[in-house]
Amino acid sequence: MTLIAVIDDDPDILDASSMVLKSKGYKVITANNPSDGFKIVKEKKPDLIILDVMMDEPDDGFFLAQKFRKEKISTPILMYTSVSKALGLDFGKNEMVPVDDFVEKPISPDELVKKVEALLHKTKEKK
Amino acid sequence: MENRKANILIVDDEKGLRIGTQRLLQDEGYLVDTAENGASGIKLALEKDFDLAIIDLKMPDFDGLEVLRVIKASKPNTVCFIATAYASYETAIQSTRLGSFGYIPKPFTPEELISQVELGIKQRKLIVDSEKLKKERDENLLEIASEKSRLNTIVKSISDGVLVVNRVGEIVFYNYAALKYLNISELKIGNRAESKLPKKILDLVNKILSSDKILLKTFTLQLELLPENQLVVEAACTPVPHPDGSILGVAIIISNITQFKQIEHIKSQFVSMVAHELKTPLAAVQGFLNILLDDSIETDKEKEKDYLNRSITRLNGLKDLVNDLLDISRMELKTKIREIEEIHLQQVVQNSIQMLEFEIAKKKISVAITLEKELPVIKADVNEISRMITNLVSNAVKYNCEGGKIFIDASAKNNYVWIRIKDSGIGMKPEEKSRLFTEFYRIKNEKTRGISGTGLGLTIVKRIVDSYHGKIEVESEFGTGTAFTVYLPINTN
Repeated sequence: MTLIAVIDDDPDILDASSMVLKSKGYKVITANNPSDGFKIVKEKKPDLIILDVMMDEPDDGFFLAQKFRKEKISTPILMYTSVSKALGLDFGKNEMVPVDDFVEKPISPDELVKKVEALLHKTKEKK
Repeated sequence: MENRKANILIVDDEKGLRIGTQRLLQDEGYLVDTAENGASGIKLALEKDFDLAIIDLKMPDFDGLEVLRVIKASKPNTVCFIATAYASYETAIQSTRLGSFGYIPKPFTPEELISQVELGIKQRKLIVDSEKLKKERDENLLEIASEKSRLNTIVKSISDGVLVVNRVGEIVFYNYAALKYLNISELKIGNRAESKLPKKILDLVNKILSSDKILLKTFTLQLELLPENQLVVEAACTPVPHPDGSILGVAIIISNITQFKQIEHIKSQFVSMVAHELKTPLAAVQGFLNILLDDSIETDKEKEKDYLNRSITRLNGLKDLVNDLLDISRMELKTKIREIEEIHLQQVVQNSIQMLEFEIAKKKISVAITLEKELPVIKADVNEISRMITNLVSNAVKYNCEGGKIFIDASAKNNYVWIRIKDSGIGMKPEEKSRLFTEFYRIKNEKTRGISGTGLGLTIVKRIVDSYHGKIEVESEFGTGTAFTVYLPINTN
């Protein structure tokens, strides 16, 4: 069964996202801070990580993503953002921001699932 | 001279000739003075400014040529004649050299004398006119020079940089501000623009110079001279037109817009932060509602109720945030109408405690209030002061431990009333303390997780305190607690 890790400091977002993903048959693990997030990914080796960009600090999500890559964890990362457009951040898929796709919050369940499926499909093809 | 009679001096030791000549010339309408020897002739000539002098060559005291020399030396514009019965080629040359206009041989007929005098007067007129023209011209030049230097002084002293490039690309004018902004240490009139100006400005100047038709329009560009908005200037380039329709050059005005840029940056950062803070609760509520509407997601009654309750909580938070933002903007615009009245701090503190009763009881916190009995009355808007105290007490509750304590003390010292709100809560690290009053800053760690807030509470407190010319101090130790002390000036009138 496909395992997805959701890391976000907002408990409501965590719950809502888990609910949506579980209803589509995914297994979900959650963490509400970067250090717990790192731990569950390292231990449970999920197939996909959904990561919020702003946790304790505005760029905690980026640092965590970089940390995963430094530790040779190549699990695809879907990043939750809420103000990337307002901040004028136009991320590219480069080494500085080692994530595979972005989702702008808020997002409908359908869109979230579509993004997740696309990303999982892409990774499978690579393998 | 045209409107007055010409005056003539006759220097001659021969009385008959002297008087005869005087009478003759007076009859012709001239003013005539006479001197009977060289010395008195010189004296008279130097005292008055004669148009014309007729000097006898041979006199007992002075030689006529010597008299001529002395008069010419100090009155070069007096037209002089030498009159003599001993006319010789040598004296004629010598007298001309010394500046004599003519040579009148004696004896002379009245007609001869008058025609010579008329010639002399004409000459004098020419001399005076040309003197006058010269003087006028000199005065004009002086005026232009002082006008130019005044203009120079003005342009050099303005704080914007001014620089002019001519049509062949040479710098022909600049002021010191231009050097400062463009960081040029050495510049001479005539230097090539391309060796001195930043490329972006140069490109614009060349574009203006090479355009076919003159657009009397100012082109502007912004240059970041020091990174991260430390020094940003705007260069406004305007073509300088020649009356014939061609371009003489380009005038460049350089203004420092660093402050605007910095404010712009702060503003856009603030807008982003507000957007983020507004969007986060929206996303949570939308997430819950989407689940409730989605038939493919199974939920039970209990879960549905939980999601709805949590949505309401987030919406309440959103409402608080919007209210805080409105308060801040009102404070900034100073549109908030203050109702200044006498305030008893005891009462305000009591009211705040009452408002927070529920939260205090829930966390089993004990509150100890020690207010000085004779606290001076302060004059302020009661809503603002109570907002300030409520925010501080609310923080002391939120960031306290279960069963913790809050101490509220107040007293007067010198010109201030101070009130301290101290808690036995989680405290702060020094780096957290320094960012405390920043908009939306919230300390986030394991202990603060689950504590809700807008991140604007202390910002509002600080603004209220500042608006009353008070001050706020923070003492805090991580793990032990925090104390905020507010000083408000006692209004003596």
